Amino acid sequence: MTEPLVLQPKLDLPAAAPLAEELKARLDGDLVIDGKEVTQLGALCLQVLLAAAISLKGKGHRMTLTHFSDKVVEQLAQMGFSPETLAEGRA
Amino acid sequence: MSDQNDPMAEIRASFFIECEELMEALQDGLQELDDGSEDPETINVVFRAVHSIKGGAGAFGLEALVRFAHRYETVLDEVRNGSLHPDSEAMKLFFLAADHLSDLIRACRDETEINESTSDELLERLDALLGEEGGAEEIAPEEFEVQGLSLSLDLDLDLDTATGDDGGDEAESTALYTIRFKPEQELFATGNEPAMLLRNLCDLGEARVRCAFGDLPSLQDLAPETPYVEWIVELRTDAAEPEIRDIFEFVDGLCELEITGGTSPLPEPQAEAEAATEPALPEAAPPPPEPDPVATTDTGATILPMGPRDAAPEPAREGEGERKATPAAKSVVRVDLERIERLVNLVGELVINQAMLSQSLDEAGLSPHSDAMNGLEEFQRLTRDIQDSVMMIRAQPVKSLFQRMSRIVRESSAAVDKEVRLITEGEATEVDKTVIERLADPLTHMIRNAVDHGLEATERREEIGKSRAGTVTLTAAHRSGRVIIEVADDGAGINRKRVQEIAVTKGLIPADAQLSDGEIDNLLFLPGFSTAKQVSNLSGRGVGMDVVKTSIQSLGGRITINSEPGKGTTFSISLPLTLAVLDGMVVNVANETLVLPLNVVVETLSLGTDDVQMLRPGNYVVRWRGGFVPLYDLGVMLGYRSHRQTDPGSIVLLIVLEDGSRAALVIDGIQDQRQVVIKGLDDSFYRAPGIAAATILGDGQIALILDPADVISGMGHIRGTDLMLSERKIANE
Repeated sequence: MTEPLVLQPKLDLPAAAPLAEELKARLDGDLVIDGKEVTQLGALCLQVLLAAAISLKGKGHRMTLTHFSDKVVEQLAQMGFSPETLAEGRA
Repeated sequence: MSDQNDPMAEIRASFFIECEELMEALQDGLQELDDGSEDPETINVVFRAVHSIKGGAGAFGLEALVRFAHRYETVLDEVRNGSLHPDSEAMKLFFLAADHLSDLIRACRDETEINESTSDELLERLDALLGEEGGAEEIAPEEFEVQGLSLSLDLDLDLDTATGDDGGDEAESTALYTIRFKPEQELFATGNEPAMLLRNLCDLGEARVRCAFGDLPSLQDLAPETPYVEWIVELRTDAAEPEIRDIFEFVDGLCELEITGGTSPLPEPQAEAEAATEPALPEAAPPPPEPDPVATTDTGATILPMGPRDAAPEPAREGEGERKATPAAKSVVRVDLERIERLVNLVGELVINQAMLSQSLDEAGLSPHSDAMNGLEEFQRLTRDIQDSVMMIRAQPVKSLFQRMSRIVRESSAAVDKEVRLITEGEATEVDKTVIERLADPLTHMIRNAVDHGLEATERREEIGKSRAGTVTLTAAHRSGRVIIEVADDGAGINRKRVQEIAVTKGLIPADAQLSDGEIDNLLFLPGFSTAKQVSNLSGRGVGMDVVKTSIQSLGGRITINSEPGKGTTFSISLPLTLAVLDGMVVNVANETLVLPLNVVVETLSLGTDDVQMLRPGNYVVRWRGGFVPLYDLGVMLGYRSHRQTDPGSIVLLIVLEDGSRAALVIDGIQDQRQVVIKGLDDSFYRAPGIAAATILGDGQIALILDPADVISGMGHIRGTDLMLSERKIANE
């Protein structure tokens, strides 16, 4: 199993482009994303994760989101997602 | 700021720039209120300025700023809704609070220490205005925290099965709204975050949030900083629509926003939710309305695409006065000053290059009607237009500077316990940005001096039948291609007898010196001179006016005094419009090429045989239009040659000085009139009197730019006094 991708703590505007680059490099198999360090999840990084989830799904791979704090889960909910729906590329 | 590559730092810097604009609006509004304006929009502007500062500060976690702005805003809100009618004391407090708000902004920007005790004291006084109801509540610290909080509503959403039937038994006052919100890229670039807006929306009631991402491209094609998604929120709330809109106040123009409903639940939310959330179905979400700027739904709710502020007409709606209060914003682009400087320098080079080209074509002996010469003429015209346009970019109204001075008046009058009224005129006068920045210190000195020394004590004013409150008038105007800024007071005028006594006591002038009123007034500018019997907090340390004069001179300006006993004193500063380019007259003197500012030259004369009269050896006057004008040989004045007899036929430039006096300068010849680029002489050069700067001519030669008034004063009595005083001073030391 590949190493989980550990997300940065602050997933805001400056973090979106680097996150997209990291994810692009990891679309060739199942991907585990570790959110243990995340404290803030903004809309742009949410988009990037969502696009990655859809791309993975299209290739028959799976995305798994783990270790997200309650706070981040709440942030996700405020934007209409749960970790599960996000990982599956659906709202 | 510190890191130019950090977008957040840029956004933060842009917030502080916005704060400056908001503070300007706040000061303006307060001034209007203080002047008795009863226009409700005025208080709206004031309120919104503070509110916007609070909002922005919250986004950056500037808690001290948020805390102060919040409670200040609470009091202003009372004024806005008519519960509080501010008297003059309250207005003073509002001004003080605005000043402190400005300090807090600066402290946050510069990351310097924040004066909490002043905050507390002012907040206590502001709270006291609220009376029995007690002070404004402290803002909840989390109110502006971007990160998520526990929601008060159940967000365990099963979005696909939203039915819209819950809350059906709620009070009748609740209504169901559907809010469509699509952020634009600018929203993020300005430090805003949809997550926070959505959370605030959820806080208003019971919400279902759906994200529509039908337009989301694949990861490979995705531009990470471009938003593709939109949200549809079904919100059951007892809040009115304006309250919902308030949440999006700070992103006005940065998103698409539609609010519909308000009475009945949406039909078939389930089907819609599915449509909205499946990426396979790009036509997601309730269909956005046609791009009709303002449309009204059947339910009476307003659909308002939030375009740019100055483009989107706002519907007139009840209870929304504050939204209309924002004056139509001008379309502006913020540009790094460095880029403008670069452009100014390049244009400067262009002017030099054009001069070189012009000279080459002249030397080539081309016909003035040749195509090349015609082309050159057009080139010169274009260069000048570019020059003017670039200078206009740098020009700014002096308003911001004047607003700072009103604070100085408030503070200094309080410090010396005098009642002072500041009147400002000509705030729209535009001056080069650099000049404005460098004027702040000298003007501060001058205003403090006017308040401290110029105006009599309040009791004294009453005794002599003057109004209790003294008046300080600050004016700016363009005159003869220069900017004139005047600080006038209606005080006692300069006590010349006392000034002279002090100068004698300090050994600055001989006891028997015979000085004219103007010469005595100019003693105030001597280093170390002070008439204050006591050193106050404000002035009286004897450094003020000397520093003022030096600062003004370094800007290529001059300062003059006009004082009338019992009526007051006026200090006039005359400054060049720009520090970059000058329309000059290029002249020859003793084989040197010099440039004189064209605006001071009023006439050129050729001396006739009887035109020159000698007053005493070394002092000549020239007859001119039935009068006499002092005559100076520029070559002698600048030390290029020793005295020589002025021959008939010599060329003379008649110049006019700021005070309206005239002088005639003998020169050897006139070369040209042209625009020259001012190149400053840096500190490694000795600052010779009369030499303002230098320029590069078309042939690459360097020419000095003269300051004629400075040259003349170097020869005249005033300068003579200065020299005499300096010599005396040195002898005493």
